[in-house]
Amino acid sequence: MRPLTSRRVLWICAVLCAVLLLAVVIALRMGAYSIAVGDIVMTLVNGALGRRERIPSEFWLVVFGLRLPRIALGILVGAALSTAGAGFQALLRNPLADPYVLGVSSGAALGAILSLIAAPHTPGAIQATAFAGALATIAAVYFLGRRGGQIDSATLLLAGIVTASFLSAVIMFLMTTLSGRDLRGMAFWLMGDLASPPAVDLRWLYFLLIVGVGSMYTTASDLNLILTGEQEARHLGVNVSRVKLVVYVAASVLTGLAVSVSGAIGYVGLLVPHLMRMIFGSDYRLLIPASAIGGAILIVIADTLARTVVAPTELPVGAMTALAGAPVFIYLMRRRVR
Amino acid sequence: MRRCYRRAIIAVLAGALVFTAAPWATRAATQTDAVHPAARVVTDEVGRRVVLPPEIKRVVTLAPNLTETLYALGLGDRLAGDTNECDKPAAAKTKPHVGEPQNPSLEAITALHPDLVLATTSINRIETAVALERLGIPVYTSDPHTVRDMLDSTARLAKLLGAGPQIEEIVPRLHERLAAVRARLADEPVVHVLFVVWEDPLITIGQHTFPADELLWAGAESVVLSKQNWPQLSLEEVVRLQPEYIVFAGHGSENAATELADLRARAIWKDLRAVQMGHVVDIGEEAVRPSPGLVDAVEHLALALHPDAFPDKSDTEKSKPE
Repeated sequence: MRPLTSRRVLWICAVLCAVLLLAVVIALRMGAYSIAVGDIVMTLVNGALGRRERIPSEFWLVVFGLRLPRIALGILVGAALSTAGAGFQALLRNPLADPYVLGVSSGAALGAILSLIAAPHTPGAIQATAFAGALATIAAVYFLGRRGGQIDSATLLLAGIVTASFLSAVIMFLMTTLSGRDLRGMAFWLMGDLASPPAVDLRWLYFLLIVGVGSMYTTASDLNLILTGEQEARHLGVNVSRVKLVVYVAASVLTGLAVSVSGAIGYVGLLVPHLMRMIFGSDYRLLIPASAIGGAILIVIADTLARTVVAPTELPVGAMTALAGAPVFIYLMRRRVR
Repeated sequence: MRRCYRRAIIAVLAGALVFTAAPWATRAATQTDAVHPAARVVTDEVGRRVVLPPEIKRVVTLAPNLTETLYALGLGDRLAGDTNECDKPAAAKTKPHVGEPQNPSLEAITALHPDLVLATTSINRIETAVALERLGIPVYTSDPHTVRDMLDSTARLAKLLGAGPQIEEIVPRLHERLAAVRARLADEPVVHVLFVVWEDPLITIGQHTFPADELLWAGAESVVLSKQNWPQLSLEEVVRLQPEYIVFAGHGSENAATELADLRARAIWKDLRAVQMGHVVDIGEEAVRPSPGLVDAVEHLALALHPDAFPDKSDTEKSKPE
């Protein structure tokens, strides 16, 4: 593998961004309402210039009201989950780690179900309580997973898995005993759903995403050293406990962010970091941005498939991420084994 | 060197932020659409404000019961689209579909240019209504909990859709039919039934559901008293409760004879008193759909559970004891 230069990182990211842009254009074109590519370009150009009166109102609704917000949400969720997955895989030194392994999604699901019980008809409540549930779980797992005042990967993993099982059991209990309540939203939530745009302004969510990915990125060089061995990293002057704390908090908050707006979309956080490792190597200085963009690409493609394969019926995007990602994953894995 | 990476990445991400923020900035400014001068403003059954266009010609329904209600009012020609689940009447199946009631495609709905979208709390999600309203498509949500509620709701819809006086008489007719059933059953004892919504796992009804209210109108009562809407029941509990009749809903077959033969071949079930006496009734899916079809279901149930009260009709009764 060639040495990693900042130039190479930027080039790869630029290429990935171009792929993402292509995916966005395809996603904008596809859907139950058919619009020609030329009309989409016209709508986008006029929309960007603020000339709404030149756009037929239907095009405006479909492009700016429906498809763009959904694509923007997909990019957010995909980037957050993949970056979180890459972070957890390094932190726990476990290739099977995904964003949900430490119970963040279960905590968010419990928050969501409590809001459906307390205030079933309040838009936005489910996202707020889901995020609160995710944060509470992050804190609980952190305090359970410490050993000698520091994060210990093995203890943290066990604490997370036990917390996740416990919370899942509570969710199953609530869903069974409260079967009369309006828990319809819950099924969608557990499968992952991009159809309902969150009540919060997306710009705030993107701000959180940038803070999360950015703070994870500051640890990239140190993570590379830690992955060769914690002792060695310490000797080289890396503050291992601080790096672990930053990765843990950043990855957890990113997961909580994604889960609370879209529910638990599966596989992205597991598949994408491994895909990027296979293609670009395991240097975290490249792996973190590549995973973020790669995750966004996968979700945009998967959600486009989910919307269109059996239109107008919409499939759960979680099923589509595996359907779109797994074959690529297997291909790359076999190619490497050979 | 490291700082260089960071700067580059932050620049890329910041660029992405600006790129995605642009459409929202313009969208927020244009959100306040002027209300049409001839528009009507009504409050729907969940307390949401709905701005209706002066004339409602194209309606999209998001639930099977709403589709049935529209057809029952004779307004099937105004139905522009419905869901994949809307199978009654047969004409509803040929309308353009917009997906599943719980997760319809907002795009497909937009493409049908509806003047009004009808939703109901018993199957649709609040998120769908909120999202459609953001797109400027009015959504009226109905929220009936009893047979009477359903009739009131149907009357409101008839008025909302600007149906003529001829159509507004449909609901009073339904009230009369219910009153007639009640008059017939005045001296009949209450029958205790097990209402089976789903067989495996065994799901029955709670006190606050449509079928529970329907049973009361038909001179019957569920043997299960539960505050849960769709409680799961163990077979052991059924043996203990020994219902006088077993009512199946939503099987589509509406054939009590095959259902009975099936139950008589099954362990435990075959030893239930109701099964041995042939007290098995199968009513269609309309029994659990809050539409005017509920009145048919009430009549059907009353006839099946109290054949003696309808001496003139009992020859057509389906689950006659042997």
